[in-house]
Amino acid sequence: MRNRISRFLVSSAALVTILCAAVFSFLAFFMNKRSLETIREIGNIYMSGMSEQISRHFGTTMILRLSQIEALLDSFPPERQGGEELRESLTYNAKARGFEYLAFYSEDGQFEMIYGAPVHVTDPKPFLDSLNRGEKKIAVGTDAQGNNIVLLGVSSTYEMSGGLKCTALVAGLPVEYISTTLSLDVNDSLVYSHIIRKDGSFVIRSADASRDTYFERILETSYTYDGVTPEMTIEKLEAAMEAGESYSGIVQTDEGRRHIYSIPLPYSEWNLLTVMPYGALDQSVNRLGRQWSVMALGGCILIVAVLILVFAKYLKLARQQMIALDEARKEAVQAARAKSEFLSNMSHDIRTPMNAIVGMTAIATANINNQQQVQNCLRKITLSSKHLLGLINDVLDMSKIESGKMTLNVDQISLREVMDSIVNIVQPQIRSKNQQFDVVIHDITAENVYCDSVRLNQVLLNLLSNAIKFTPEKGRILISMYEEPSEISQDHVQIHIRVKDSGIGMTPEFKARIFESFVREDNARVRRTEGSGLGMTITKYIVDTMGGTIDVESEPGKGSEFHIALDLEIADIQEADMLLPDWRMLVVDDDRELCESTVSALKSIGITADWTLSGEAAVRMVDERYQRNDSYHIILLDWKLPGMDGIETARRIRERLGENVPILLISAYDWGEIEEQARGAGVSGFISKPLFKSTLFHGLKKYADMDSVPAEKESERSIDFTGRRILLAEDNELNWEVAEELLKELGLELFWAQNGRICLDMFLDSQEGYYDAILMDLRMPEMNGYEATEAIRALPRADAGLPIIAMTADAFSDDIRKCLECGMDAHVAKPIDIRELSHLLEKYIGQS
Amino acid sequence: MMSLEECYDALGGNYKAVLGRLSSERIVKKFVLKFLNDQSYVLLEQSMQDKNYEEAFRAAHTIKGVCQNLSFDRLGDSSSRLAEALRSGWTPEADALVDEVKRDYQETADAIRAFQTENGES
Repeated sequence: MRNRISRFLVSSAALVTILCAAVFSFLAFFMNKRSLETIREIGNIYMSGMSEQISRHFGTTMILRLSQIEALLDSFPPERQGGEELRESLTYNAKARGFEYLAFYSEDGQFEMIYGAPVHVTDPKPFLDSLNRGEKKIAVGTDAQGNNIVLLGVSSTYEMSGGLKCTALVAGLPVEYISTTLSLDVNDSLVYSHIIRKDGSFVIRSADASRDTYFERILETSYTYDGVTPEMTIEKLEAAMEAGESYSGIVQTDEGRRHIYSIPLPYSEWNLLTVMPYGALDQSVNRLGRQWSVMALGGCILIVAVLILVFAKYLKLARQQMIALDEARKEAVQAARAKSEFLSNMSHDIRTPMNAIVGMTAIATANINNQQQVQNCLRKITLSSKHLLGLINDVLDMSKIESGKMTLNVDQISLREVMDSIVNIVQPQIRSKNQQFDVVIHDITAENVYCDSVRLNQVLLNLLSNAIKFTPEKGRILISMYEEPSEISQDHVQIHIRVKDSGIGMTPEFKARIFESFVREDNARVRRTEGSGLGMTITKYIVDTMGGTIDVESEPGKGSEFHIALDLEIADIQEADMLLPDWRMLVVDDDRELCESTVSALKSIGITADWTLSGEAAVRMVDERYQRNDSYHIILLDWKLPGMDGIETARRIRERLGENVPILLISAYDWGEIEEQARGAGVSGFISKPLFKSTLFHGLKKYADMDSVPAEKESERSIDFTGRRILLAEDNELNWEVAEELLKELGLELFWAQNGRICLDMFLDSQEGYYDAILMDLRMPEMNGYEATEAIRALPRADAGLPIIAMTADAFSDDIRKCLECGMDAHVAKPIDIRELSHLLEKYIGQS
Repeated sequence: MMSLEECYDALGGNYKAVLGRLSSERIVKKFVLKFLNDQSYVLLEQSMQDKNYEEAFRAAHTIKGVCQNLSFDRLGDSSSRLAEALRSGWTPEADALVDEVKRDYQETADAIRAFQTENGES
């Protein structure tokens, strides 16, 4: 295809070039010819004009001379004088008129010289005939010395010496007289003239004419020109002279072309033959022609060049277009192939769990009585179903993206909560793979921003679960977050999130394609890894939609690092002034970054902190301070430390400082597992990563009110809810009693509803505003917590909107969402944590 | 004489945790003893027999809640798993888990009874 077009273009270019050349050559040729013709015409006109002029001049000159002779005749009539006297008079007068010869001419052609050397007529016959007829005539002759003479004869009847009457009086002039008078041979003129007789013989020859006759001259010096041979020229010239007409023609000689023009001269048998060499004219014309040709050629070349340029340009454009087209086609093919590969992968991926489900169901059916087997089957079915669901969700997300229907649901979110929840979600997976997990939060000033939390979660979850998936056991995973000023405006911050792992990494080829749809690194190592291959595409799309960027650094075998940058608008909420007393604190973590960012976050809430990287150093620093009687107020310890671990460090510090200083443990992991051990070692509390400013503030605030020993519970119990009434719906008596025991310590008055129905009834029977809040168990007989809440919210009472707080042992996010959906205000987990609950109560019903 | 802490060790509970939450040994003791009167376990057995799995789920859930309140971790764990197994009706795991809960409950109840006897009417 491409070749055909190039071929077409090249051949058209060639064709146009040839056409151009041909047209211009033709024009040049034609114009040359035309100019030659024109020159010839001009020559013709000029020559004929000039020749006539000369001929007329010749005529008048001859008439003048003849009339002078006639005047002689008139002055000296033959009747009056004779003899010697006459001759003297004639001689005298003729000489006075410049004649060099004078003679009587007898009827038989004999000259009787009156003066001058004897002369001889070259061609006496016509001369004599004419004179005998009484006409005037001119002829040439020679004298005794051989000088050429022009003889002019006028008939007269003078008596000659022999007594005979003469037939004419003949006067002679040197031939030069005619040449001079007529300017036949002027050196500085291009044009010269000969006078010839009808037989071609010269009467007067000019220039270097050396032949006897002009005809000979033509025959010998000229060539065929324009199809006209010299013979033909002669023939025509002869014919014209015979007929007494003028003739115009061209002869070609060695010295160039010559224009000849012949015209009969009066009073003679002669013709004036004017010759004009074209030499100079030819030169001009040729120069003009050459210039014309050069110009034409130049023009032609220019046009051809432009044409070729245009063609080349067009060809290039066409090529580019072809290439672009080709690329587009390749892309389309690639996309189609990716899709079909994806489909075949997907159908494989979907079929695998589906096969498992079908197969396991069959096995379970066949072994319906073998409980163990059925159980085993069901467990596998459950796993496969979950996997299948994940795949389908991805595909649905992708189709949403491809149809452009994915939109962001931007709301105010807390980055701390997002990070908290993501860390919580991935912890079990990380723990099960025994991976080392770290969360580092650098100085984040804007914890509350506007973003789609669900999608942001999805992005982080995707990156983290990929990191987990592709990182072997004992590998390291790090998620870090930091903030930079945004370029968009003052109201925005640029949040950077990095997810780094020490996993299998990616090949550069794969890295380049990772964000494309339907791509999965296809090699033996990861073939077993499940997934749709859409995760990264979805991630990329979400980040793009949020107006952010995502990029990746990776090296096979070393690990990968994803970096997301998002410009987020700062949520316009007034954070309570987070300020704590001017404590001195010690932060102990083996991660230098974490230490530095924590110290900086602490500084922003008014705390001066030191940091160190190991437990041993921490113990030493605490010791030093203690000796100086300038102990740290609070110590933050990482749980996992190299060498001496957090718990051991806590134990040592506790030994030295006694009970007075709170020691808090930091960990990204669940505190439950190590709580007992930690408390045993003297750890006072726990702060979970990620360490946002607010995490630190809320974690440390409780130690603010006391001067020395932080007796937590006492401080909590200082919150006084005396006189507040709480309706508590709980079906289990023991749980109710525990709750009552705990809550009455806060001064609350509690009322027990054994289930949702009773709760609703009690609320209905009460006066408006009697209860300050309801604590609602979710799982209850008769009417569960959701139903009761909905019923209460639907009541036409002024206090139907009172705070309802759910209590549940289920921490499923579904349950929590459902709580909020059916109108509850908040949610606490069982077993009841009196601190958490009193916080919530304080928030909702406030202190009296 | 068996201490409350020893009793907790015997029934697989977390004494420190419960003490941290309820703050005094007196209160803990009071609730631990009350555990014996809790009817949830009876309800669980009954509903399993009747194949009323919805009720059984609630009963297991309640046992879990009580155990979390009292930090009876072992029984709390098995009852929690049973509750999950019964959350959407009967599943194959449920029966085995019921047996596990039954065993843990007996151990718990035995430990508390032992503690009660030794501490007499004090």
